[in-house]
Amino acid sequence: MSNNSKPVTNRRAFVQKLVGGVAATTVASSAVALSSAETPPEGKKAKLKSYAMLIDTRRCIGCHTCSVSCKSEFDVPLGVTRSWVEYTEKGTYPNVSRHFLPRLCNQCRHPQCVDVCPTGATYKRPQDGIVVVDSGQCIGCKYCIQACPYDARFLNPETKVAEKCDFCIHRVSKGLVPSCVNSCIGEARIFGDISDPNSEISRLLTTNPTTVLRPGKGTEPQVYYIGADHSDEHENNRGWYDVRITTHRKEKGRR
Amino acid sequence: MVDRRNFIKLGIATAGAQLLPIRKVMAEDGTPLKHGGEDYSQFSGNQHVAVPSICGQCPSRCAILGYLDDGKLAKIEGHPDSIRNQGRVCAKGQAGAAKVYDPDRILTPLRRVGPRGQGEWEKISWDEALDELTTRLKKFRDAGTPEKFVFHHGWISDSAEKLIDDVFLASYGTGSIIKQTCQQQSARWTAHELTWGATADNWDFDNARYVLNFGSNVLEAHTNFVSLAKRLTKSTVDHDLKMMTFDVRLSNTAANSDRWIPIKPGTDLAVVLAMCNVVMSEDLYGRDGEKFIDFCLVSENYNALPGEKIVTLKKHLADYTPEWAEKISGVAAQDIRQIAREFAITKPACIISSRGAAAHYNGVQTERAIQMLAAITGNIDNPGGRCQAVSAQWTYPTGPKSKPVSRKLSFIDDIASTTALPQFGAGHSVLRRIKESGERPGLYMWYHHNPAYANGSTRETVEILKDESLLPFTVAVTPFYDETAALADLILPDATYLERYDIEAAVSPGQVPEYALRQPFVEPQGEARDFKDVCCELAKRLDIKLGFKSAEKFIDKACKLTIVVKKKARGFRGMQKIGVWHDKKAQPIYFAYRERIENATLADDGVLLDEATGVYWNWKTAEVESEAKAKSIGYLGTPGAFKGYVAQRVGYAAYSGFRPGILNKTGLFELYSPLLAAKGMPGLPTYVEIPDHVKMSDDEMILTTFKVNVQSLSNTGNGGWLTEIHHENPVWINPVSATARGIIDGDALIIKSPLGEVSGTAMVTPTVAPGVLAVSTHLGRWQGGRYASGNPAPFALGDHRHDEHQWWQAGGTHANWIIPDNPEPVSGQQCWMDTVVTLEKASS
Amino acid sequence: MHELTWGLPVIAYFFLAGMGAGAVTVSGSVLLRKGGFGASRFSVARCGALIGPIPVMLGTFLIVFELGQPLRAGNLFHLINLSPMSIGSWFLNIFIILSVLYAMTFMLPGSSPGDRFSQVRRGLAWVLVPLGIGVAVYTGIMLGAMPARPFWNSPILAALFTLSALSSGVASIILAGVVFRRKSKDVAIRSDYENSSYLLITSDALLIAGELLVIFLFLLFGHLTIGDIKYAMLAILPGGQMALLFWGLVVGVGLLIPLIIELFQVMPKLLHNREFKTIVSLEVAVPLAILIGGFTLRYTIVVAGQITAPTTL
Ligand SMILES: Nc1nc2c(c(=O)[nH]1)N[C@H]1C(S)=C(S)[C@@H](COP(=O)(O)OP(=O)(O)OC[C@H]3O[C@@H](n4cnc5c(=O)[nH]c(N)nc54)[C@H](O)[C@@H]3O)O[C@H]1N2
Ligand SMILES: Nc1nc2c(c(=O)[nH]1)N[C@H]1C(S)=C(S)[C@@H](COP(=O)(O)OP(=O)(O)OC[C@H]3O[C@@H](n4cnc5c(=O)[nH]c(N)nc54)[C@H](O)[C@@H]3O)O[C@H]1N2
Ligand code: SF4
Ligand code: SF4
Ligand code: SF4
Ligand code: SF4
Ligand code: SF4
Ligand SMILES: [Mo]
Repeated sequence: MSNNSKPVTNRRAFVQKLVGGVAATTVASSAVALSSAETPPEGKKAKLKSYAMLIDTRRCIGCHTCSVSCKSEFDVPLGVTRSWVEYTEKGTYPNVSRHFLPRLCNQCRHPQCVDVCPTGATYKRPQDGIVVVDSGQCIGCKYCIQACPYDARFLNPETKVAEKCDFCIHRVSKGLVPSCVNSCIGEARIFGDISDPNSEISRLLTTNPTTVLRPGKGTEPQVYYIGADHSDEHENNRGWYDVRITTHRKEKGRR
Repeated sequence: MVDRRNFIKLGIATAGAQLLPIRKVMAEDGTPLKHGGEDYSQFSGNQHVAVPSICGQCPSRCAILGYLDDGKLAKIEGHPDSIRNQGRVCAKGQAGAAKVYDPDRILTPLRRVGPRGQGEWEKISWDEALDELTTRLKKFRDAGTPEKFVFHHGWISDSAEKLIDDVFLASYGTGSIIKQTCQQQSARWTAHELTWGATADNWDFDNARYVLNFGSNVLEAHTNFVSLAKRLTKSTVDHDLKMMTFDVRLSNTAANSDRWIPIKPGTDLAVVLAMCNVVMSEDLYGRDGEKFIDFCLVSENYNALPGEKIVTLKKHLADYTPEWAEKISGVAAQDIRQIAREFAITKPACIISSRGAAAHYNGVQTERAIQMLAAITGNIDNPGGRCQAVSAQWTYPTGPKSKPVSRKLSFIDDIASTTALPQFGAGHSVLRRIKESGERPGLYMWYHHNPAYANGSTRETVEILKDESLLPFTVAVTPFYDETAALADLILPDATYLERYDIEAAVSPGQVPEYALRQPFVEPQGEARDFKDVCCELAKRLDIKLGFKSAEKFIDKACKLTIVVKKKARGFRGMQKIGVWHDKKAQPIYFAYRERIENATLADDGVLLDEATGVYWNWKTAEVESEAKAKSIGYLGTPGAFKGYVAQRVGYAAYSGFRPGILNKTGLFELYSPLLAAKGMPGLPTYVEIPDHVKMSDDEMILTTFKVNVQSLSNTGNGGWLTEIHHENPVWINPVSATARGIIDGDALIIKSPLGEVSGTAMVTPTVAPGVLAVSTHLGRWQGGRYASGNPAPFALGDHRHDEHQWWQAGGTHANWIIPDNPEPVSGQQCWMDTVVTLEKASS
Repeated sequence: MHELTWGLPVIAYFFLAGMGAGAVTVSGSVLLRKGGFGASRFSVARCGALIGPIPVMLGTFLIVFELGQPLRAGNLFHLINLSPMSIGSWFLNIFIILSVLYAMTFMLPGSSPGDRFSQVRRGLAWVLVPLGIGVAVYTGIMLGAMPARPFWNSPILAALFTLSALSSGVASIILAGVVFRRKSKDVAIRSDYENSSYLLITSDALLIAGELLVIFLFLLFGHLTIGDIKYAMLAILPGGQMALLFWGLVVGVGLLIPLIIELFQVMPKLLHNREFKTIVSLEVAVPLAILIGGFTLRYTIVVAGQITAPTTL
């Protein structure tokens, strides 16, 4: 930085290279994408996992640490988010409340984003249920962005491919919890394998009332909530009390 | 961050696309996932190098790990081994790398070329800059007026304060130091000095079962934010901790409390006194309270019996009924009564408070009343209560043995006329006092502080800073071009907290001290230099032998001088590896005041018992000429006698008691303050109304400012990821107040005070009390770089990456233009939350 | 207003692809038809065949460059999956190739009804009719397949888009006819011109009537259901953000007015077998109105789908 000239972001250079390289190798990698079951390490039977997150909103203080740690983990550009926190305020003075709702990709069991992806770039990993985007395959058609009922996806303005939370597989695969879980001040985020009945998350899921977002969409989210306030500004039509949702995202409305 | 990750080397591997994380091998079955402590590149999978250090973006000083990717700072996370923040940092901490790679950073010394404040600068070398400073400093010293060098600083590290203030400046000979440590603390700290003799408090959330909160937004902002927020949240859910929050608006803390009780601004004192009344009149103080009252002073009578004390308190509080308080505060008497009862009978319970209670005209009284409520319920210094803060005790090199007698310009302490106990100074009003005093600093330097933005009376502050007849030569020491740096004659580019060594000694919420070392993750960018090193260099040029060559050496020495660090933490090298250290065998410190003092100690050479007060004190350490004189004028009659404090007699035994800090008090917990009484103020906490509020008319409102979780004062506006979240600060107004003025949500407003007006946007919301306007205090910047203010700094770099994607326009409301510089009468605390304003719809 | 994930290029593509596919489909079906058009069959088919591929290719060009990674458009063809976009892309790809070949059979020198290409031409027409419908239908399915977008989320959209595509196809053929056939040197074409126009206008009126019916069902369904779709529908109901465009341009200008005019034109012959006479100004104005309506239909629907959302979380 001392020489006053700045290179273009290296990440972009990286992606350009990636894009260039892909032309030659997409056939090969899409084959991988389709079969997508990586062969487990030799001699071991892979036990299938099912990763999920539980967000205990009683512990959430709305501090946005998760949002920013996710940005820093992936160097996510301004204007787009993999992870964000919504504030829900409702009531009539002095009986008012504010609840915090951390949001991210729900890693749906029935992910519409996968159903609509024409290239197979988005797929659900059979080994652990994480829905991922192969950034080397994605053409940036944005169909998945439309199809996600949670507005969890975006087109990365630098790489020009679809992006979303991937449960930090680069960390999880090294035995670390996702970045947002690691950084959560309230310890509101619990991550683990729900196919293992002894995991902390399984224990909490079975002993607490939980909800998922937009269950009616049939996506069967793998992000669960304790104590989530599902209120929506739409309820203002009823005129009983005011609901105000603040998202802190570029896109102010909730979709 | 720009250029922070080096992908070039990945280029070759790129073609495979296999390096995408998707294809990473899974973790072994059954291995529980680890939290922090390791980190891997998202792009290459390479493990990052972890370096421990300490965050420095707010006074909390959380322990962090920095992760380096090929020499670039790639990520920051909480240090998992810290017993303070326990592996967590806040959003600002996470975004820290933005400080290092801020495209608007000042990278070379700059000298003003145009008129002051015009924004025209030339780059100069360090040699030129230091020559200029040395010449001036030599001139003052040679003329016998080193005090003309005035040094003003904000929140700085423990080691910086020692190296710069106590060693360098002291050796040079100036005592003209203004520690504007924090504009929050003086009212609360003064109240604490008066009661328990030390400054900071700690709230033991790990053990508390009930929390009563007066104006603290601890879940968003605190000088020990992450450490406390994490514990409070855990206890709330896991231990069913109950919390009641009094605030003028629904802060996030209020939102996560069992109840938010809206209160009329500046009236917490009435509610607290009424709660004391309930506790005393209904005899709810219980055994714990009674035991504690034994250690309290409640009247001029130092030898009062416990029963007498209770009678005195009851009598004093008799008129402060909940019904009386309801009229003043708007809080229902029934609620006051119920909460007081709950608080008194739930054990242990912790009463917490902050600027919401204290940044008022009656701030010291309020905080003293809060101490009283904690005291009479026995919730002082106990597990789960309000404790005297515990922090690391470092020993530092002290520099040259013989130092010149320290001199200071007199305006610095010249607040005595308006302030009863000015021991914390009143940094916020110091510039005005320069103007009024007639004295002129020869060189006014500020460090880690942004008075043009942070003080009240902005217009006057800016005018004074611009006025060359008041301040002939000014120097800003900062990495960033903020509002005040823009008004300097010379800017010295400092290293950021991620590029330098420091020692920190922040409060430990678990009551076990933690020793912490800050160390550089990366070299200072450009030509930036740690100002502590600059001081060493200046000393050399001024022929002062400090005894250490650099900040690093100073800290190395401190690690040797501090015995526990040297012996148990393996000194500097050891600290560099671990970052934070605490004694694993140490027990949390509670009830320190109840320690019995052995007769042997009381019989030490020079120790006297002051019969009038029951204080054992050493006349020799108190620097009295003779024993006879000490005996004749007594403990209270001797200025500075507290330096010889040894023990306090309570009943028939001698206890360590509440050791005085910087005021001449006894070892008792002084609910009644003879010091205040001597100044003609009420000795026991007494209701004081805020004069401006009493004469308010119906169309006037009270303006409150508050801090938000993703910004730290004016220190984080240059963090793109943070300002992306908080870049608008609408003015909160209750529907009742709004309707009365024909205001609807989104209306443009003009807010007026006698100082002038500011504009804002209305947010009509039931989350603020009627009659209150609330607005956050981080925006409306006019400097601070592109993200904060929209104005790039001089010689700023292009940041293609972020500039393209910055989607908001910097803006917002800065209330300080209309908040007067207004010191509270006891401590000089700036009364941030008292401003009476009127409101209009802007005619568009 | 929300930032649109799919903006004008996509909307234009939906319209252009629909119109082009409609034109080719109509062309094919006219060509394959036994009676009715008589001698003008070939020239009507030629019109459709020649104009059809152009908007489709133009639209395709637009969306390829609307992709985040246009250079990777080829990735669409590495596999076939059940994504409407995947299937649609294959349809589109094959459609473009075949429709260009089909057009060429009309362009070769001396091409006439019985020339040596007539077998190929008919063969292509047999394939292109369903393929064209496929191209038109998939845009509707693509939108309709997403519960995330309640406004779109019904199969009716596919029907609406198909009818609208065919109607715009007919409109474009009529417009082209005015330019190329009306003044034709070919006497047979000229003599049959009125007859073919009559048939085209009649079928267009039928298509429009069908569209109106489908829109009615769309609204009715939206109204009768509860929840997300009902609320999403508010965007085009009176008072909604898109209502003016929808009722004014789509329903009024694009459907009702053309339908009424067309009915006035064809009714005398249909009912009383009076002579049918084309009027040039109407021959230009009505198809234009239909095309404007067709575009606005895509616009309103694509935008309304993106500014509305599920109402519960
Ligand atoms: N995120 C973040 N954290 C920070 C800082 C920061 O800038 N940002 N700054 C640090 C510093 S230097 C300090 S001093 C601390 C300050 O920490 P706090 O003192 O907790 O924070 P403030 O926002 O200044 O004020 C606290 C609350 O007082 C309320 N209040 C105002 N008037 C009244 C009143 O009359 N009665 C009552 N009961 N409440 C009232 C406000 O609404 C606000 O919610 O935070 C530190 N931590
Ligand atoms: N209206 C209103 N005003 C307030 C408050 C309020 O509640 N309401 N709060 C008050 C309180 S509690 C406080 S403590 C003050 C704080 O006010 P200040 O003490 O001015 O603190 P900051 O705003 O953090 O400004 C510190 C400046 O130091 C510079 N800086 C940052 N990092 C470094 C570094 O590493 N080295 C050096 N040399 N400089 C650095 C930055 O340019 C930054 O602008 O604000 C007060 N102002
Ligand atoms: S944007 Fe990429 S991931 Fe999304 S649907 Fe299109 S190709 Fe698939
Ligand atoms: S939340 Fe959206 S992006 Fe994530 S899996 Fe579900 S549908 Fe896909
Ligand atoms: S799991 Fe990882 S990618 Fe997903 S929100 Fe958390 S930090 Fe972001
Ligand atoms: S980091 Fe944790 S506590 Fe903070 S907003 Fe995110 S989920 Fe809530
Ligand atoms: S609370 Fe303060 S010290 Fe701690 S991480 Fe946040 S900004 Fe840094
Ligand atoms: Mo502060």
